[in-house]
Amino acid sequence: MAVSFPKCPSSPLPPLQTRNRAWLSPLSAPLQVGDSSKWALLEATKRCHLCVSATNGGSAVAPVEPSKKVQDSGPKTTPTDHSTKVENGIRPTVLSSNEFQDLKTGPDNSGRESTVSITVVGASGDLAKKKIFPALFALYYEGFLPKHFTIFGYARSKMTDSELREMVSRTLNCRIDQRENCDAKMEEFLKRCFYHSGQYDSEAHFVELDKKLKQHEGSRISNRLYYLSIPPNIFLDVVKCTSLAASSENGWTRVIVEKPFGRDAESSAALTRGLKQYLHEDQIFRIDHYLGKELVENLSVLRFSNLVFEPLWSRQYIRNVQIIFSEDFGTEGRGGYFDSYGIIRDIMQNHLLQIVALFAMETRTSLEAEDIRNEKVKVLRSMKTLEIDDVVIGQYKSHTRGGVVYPGYTDDKTVPNDSLTPTFAAAALFINNARWDGVPFLMKAGKALHTKRAEIRVQFRHVPGNLYKKCFGTDLDRATNELVIRVQPDEAIYLKINNKIPGLGMRLDRSNLNLHYAARYSKEIPCAYERLLLDAIEGERRLFIRSDELDAAWALFTPLLKDLEEKRIAPELYPYGSRGPVGAHYLAAKYNVRWGDLGAEH
Amino acid sequence: MIRQRIPTNGRDHFITSASGCHTRYITSGPRNGLIANRSLDRSTIFAFCFGSLDKEDILFTQNSFFTLCSLSLSLSNPTQILAMTILRFYQRPSSLSIAFSSRHEWSFSGSSELVTLTTRRNQCWRFSPLKSSNGSPLAGASWKDDGKEMSVPKVPDIGSQLAENTVSITVVGASGDLAKKKIFPALFALYYEDYLPQHFTVFGYARSKLTDEELRHTISTTLTCRVDKRENCSDKMEQFLRRCFYHSGQYDSEVDFCELDNKLKEKEDGKLANRLFYLSIPPNIFVDVVRGASRSASSPNGWTRFIVEKPFGRDSESSSELTRCLKMYLIEEQIFRIDHYLGKELVENLSVLRFANLVFEPLWSRNYIRNVQLIFSEDFGTEGRGGYFDHYGIIRDIMQNHLLQILALFAMETPVGLDGEDIRNEKVKVLRSMRVLKLDDVVVGQYKGHTKGGKSFPAYTDDPTVPKGSLTPTFAAASLFIDNARWDGVPFLMKAGKALHRRGAEIRVQFRHVPGNLYKRKFGTDLDKATNELVIRVQPNEAIYLKINNKVPGLSMRLDSSNLNLLYSERYPREIPDAYERLLLDAIEGERRLFIRSDELDAAWAIFSPLLRELEEKKVVPELYPYGSRGPVGAHYLAAKYNVRWGDLSDSS
Repeated sequence: MAVSFPKCPSSPLPPLQTRNRAWLSPLSAPLQVGDSSKWALLEATKRCHLCVSATNGGSAVAPVEPSKKVQDSGPKTTPTDHSTKVENGIRPTVLSSNEFQDLKTGPDNSGRESTVSITVVGASGDLAKKKIFPALFALYYEGFLPKHFTIFGYARSKMTDSELREMVSRTLNCRIDQRENCDAKMEEFLKRCFYHSGQYDSEAHFVELDKKLKQHEGSRISNRLYYLSIPPNIFLDVVKCTSLAASSENGWTRVIVEKPFGRDAESSAALTRGLKQYLHEDQIFRIDHYLGKELVENLSVLRFSNLVFEPLWSRQYIRNVQIIFSEDFGTEGRGGYFDSYGIIRDIMQNHLLQIVALFAMETRTSLEAEDIRNEKVKVLRSMKTLEIDDVVIGQYKSHTRGGVVYPGYTDDKTVPNDSLTPTFAAAALFINNARWDGVPFLMKAGKALHTKRAEIRVQFRHVPGNLYKKCFGTDLDRATNELVIRVQPDEAIYLKINNKIPGLGMRLDRSNLNLHYAARYSKEIPCAYERLLLDAIEGERRLFIRSDELDAAWALFTPLLKDLEEKRIAPELYPYGSRGPVGAHYLAAKYNVRWGDLGAEH
Repeated sequence: MIRQRIPTNGRDHFITSASGCHTRYITSGPRNGLIANRSLDRSTIFAFCFGSLDKEDILFTQNSFFTLCSLSLSLSNPTQILAMTILRFYQRPSSLSIAFSSRHEWSFSGSSELVTLTTRRNQCWRFSPLKSSNGSPLAGASWKDDGKEMSVPKVPDIGSQLAENTVSITVVGASGDLAKKKIFPALFALYYEDYLPQHFTVFGYARSKLTDEELRHTISTTLTCRVDKRENCSDKMEQFLRRCFYHSGQYDSEVDFCELDNKLKEKEDGKLANRLFYLSIPPNIFVDVVRGASRSASSPNGWTRFIVEKPFGRDSESSSELTRCLKMYLIEEQIFRIDHYLGKELVENLSVLRFANLVFEPLWSRNYIRNVQLIFSEDFGTEGRGGYFDHYGIIRDIMQNHLLQILALFAMETPVGLDGEDIRNEKVKVLRSMRVLKLDDVVVGQYKGHTKGGKSFPAYTDDPTVPKGSLTPTFAAASLFIDNARWDGVPFLMKAGKALHRRGAEIRVQFRHVPGNLYKRKFGTDLDKATNELVIRVQPNEAIYLKINNKVPGLSMRLDSSNLNLLYSERYPREIPDAYERLLLDAIEGERRLFIRSDELDAAWAIFSPLLRELEEKKVVPELYPYGSRGPVGAHYLAAKYNVRWGDLSDSS
């Protein structure tokens, strides 16, 4: 234990987890392998954001059974000894030679290796093929997966292992910046991929899976991760079967689920209740892949590690915040799922709301996952429930441009002809707390718009008593500072400032203080799924949504969604490829806001 | 209702009449009048109205103001008065009576029938609307100027009146280096860009015997055209040179200046004459020239202004003596003390950055700023021209003026307006709140010879124009403190040196560390090494950037310091005008914002004089540093005393 724990600053051990007998340090796997390369060790340890602490000394560490043996046989390094080093759960990036020595000798003292088995349930689906397998491969390629791991595809279709491999291999690609060994790595990765065919509601089939898993796991401590890449109506069946028939006996078992988490407060609560019959809260990893985006992650860093932003982060200086998501394509023949949810449930209630919560939360106590989630919940619970007046909805209609006909939403064969499902929505939200009282948080999300973009725009107030006001024309608010965080595409952070145009006159313009990621960071930015999968394997819950967060989020949107459906509110039509319905401007104007993305500059 | 738009470079549309110290352009619509204080690109325009106003008129005046004022920095007082004017019209549409503060050199009174503008020198203009037969105002205005009555039928025709006004610029010391390298090229650039009045004359004055042709030849070798507008360049140059003349004379001879006066009059040809003298001469003959020029060659009917450049004395006493002597012949308003650093684009932008952006001002105090660094370095030594320098040293040459001026601009409180006097009032307050420098607050250095890559660089004392045992500092670092509510305890560190490893001037604002930083483990032991920093690079390669801590993209959580960048060369492809252009233009226009007032100068000397005296009396030996190095180590110790690191020596960018 002295071996695995202190060395594993990344060991997430929030209070809830101590109850989980099957818990094992996520990093212990690579660390306990004697021949792990020095590089992999360092890499693994560098990921110290995962470090949630062993801080609280021995007490937090103690209950973990599998490691106990290690402690008994290990060198007499006391946990307290290390807790001084792992203060606050964060570890300096560079290991001291001592620590490094510990790491190296660690595995020799441990009796057992650990392994992780990742089962992708719904392996033949689109998400699995396009995102999950490639993300797993990327993690493997970069050396982030434990030394021993097994990947299982599970689905109803009959397939052999090699058919699965063939299917997976088609979507794998190597990072641009590290092409060497790619084929060899791919080969090795595919050798660890297997397939098991079975029904989603059959415990017997999962028992078979369990046997196969055990075979691969051997005598190692086994950790199991299930990725449910399946329709929500069979979530419960699968969860029941996995937890009853295919849980790990000596390691952890975690389940990743993705949206939709219900359609409203009730169905979401029912789903949570259902899941909790078979799983503890800390076994459930609700993915919101937006939280894994590089610039969303960076949001907290920007706020909390820079002095220049936090003083401005309140109603005193911020006039409004805009969170904008747009896609430049429609449902394109895959409207079936979308039509029963709509853009509000699909994008706003989860992705955009999560960003608002991250943006607006108070300073948290530490970097620990539970601390962040506690603060996020507080924001969500302070928010004013949405009313129908705060929202504008739209639906795209067909549009012909340059001889090309773009279909309307209802032209999609998978969408009912009279569908009122919004493909666009704009909403004004308010957070009724001391920091944000009166500041409109405007959200906008839409499909089939003129650009593809996700960004956060923070518009500041105008300068009080501006000496240069005569230089700005009549509307002072049009020349205010604005901080833009462009999440995708083409990641960037920029701050618009008023600046003197060089020359003999005194004319001002708006220039940007720019940080363009492509120019500053040559490395490719990892896909959100990689980050989230890795976090799930490591038990880092920071980017996953807790039940109470989910409840609070639904509480905000459910009355509105009901209202829209009961009153059968007709969405405002907008042409495919346009800037969305005009209503969005009126909504913004009501709160004296202009959408930053539709300004003159674009 | 009029929807007439006032053109932004409305030279062609304004009539002009000049008197006293200001050139004024007047135009008028049927119900509106405008008085402009030198329009073109930076105008101060007063709108007034004949007859009663209605809402439409106000809108009109406001709109035209926005158009015009977007080009002006010196507006706030006049515009406030404008607002007042309108208000009064609203309440008492039949009469108008406004008194300007005495600073403005004029007063203003009148009724809807007649407006009189009186300058300090009791020159009067009276404006009255022309009336049509039915008594309603016409599209025009008439006014009396020194008894000569003119009337203008309508706006488009007034351009022809421009020729009435002329400015004569006399460069005293025309054969000198500064004149050749900076002043004439700046004048040409102003001419090329159309900033000079339609009629102007440039005179060179010096002792050497030269013909006009010879002067033109010398000048033409240094003139260049702007990179972005090469067309017509040689034509323009030709025309410019034709306006250049030379007069040879002694600097202390009133007779010679009388001759100059005659020549000037000849060129001015009875027009309203404004005269600007640029004293590009050693300081010991400043007073002689001012006496000669002011007594014998002042303009009889326009303004006469003198531009003087540093050194303004060697210490408090000599500086105030100089001021006293100048004031025997000139009034304060005629003296334009140039500090060419104030004309630098990014120094000018400093106020815009602070006062036109919400995001900076809340941070602009001891609460958030840990220290401020003002850094000037040159990568060459005196190179055989150490005579003047040796007498002054780097502290007088760079710190006491350029760097201190930047500091004052940086640290001043929000001025009431953008008017020159408002800004200078605030700057003086900063200077007067500053602690007098002591010997302990300063490190001095002098460069020594150094051999690098087979090439040997000479020491300061190797310069033949420098005395062998000279103790004159070629490098100095100083820590200054402003004892006011905003800046108490914040060190302002200055550093200036010659023969250093690079050339540059920049302002660095280091912020405090984030209190209770969640990410503190990422920063190693010294939190102060990872603080935000705002850098304003004045030269070369103008830029503004803010260093922020950012997450390195990737699966791990590593932070690094990245820049939010504004690189001028990328954002503004246009060439940035030289500081001298701006300052010359301002002097011609009577805009005093970038010139140093006597009381500012006194306050600046008061901070440095005791130190300078002590250095000289105690014969403090400067720390030697190799030519081309980063300067003496002492500068680091000085900074360390206040827990500061020099940003320019740790910044990789």
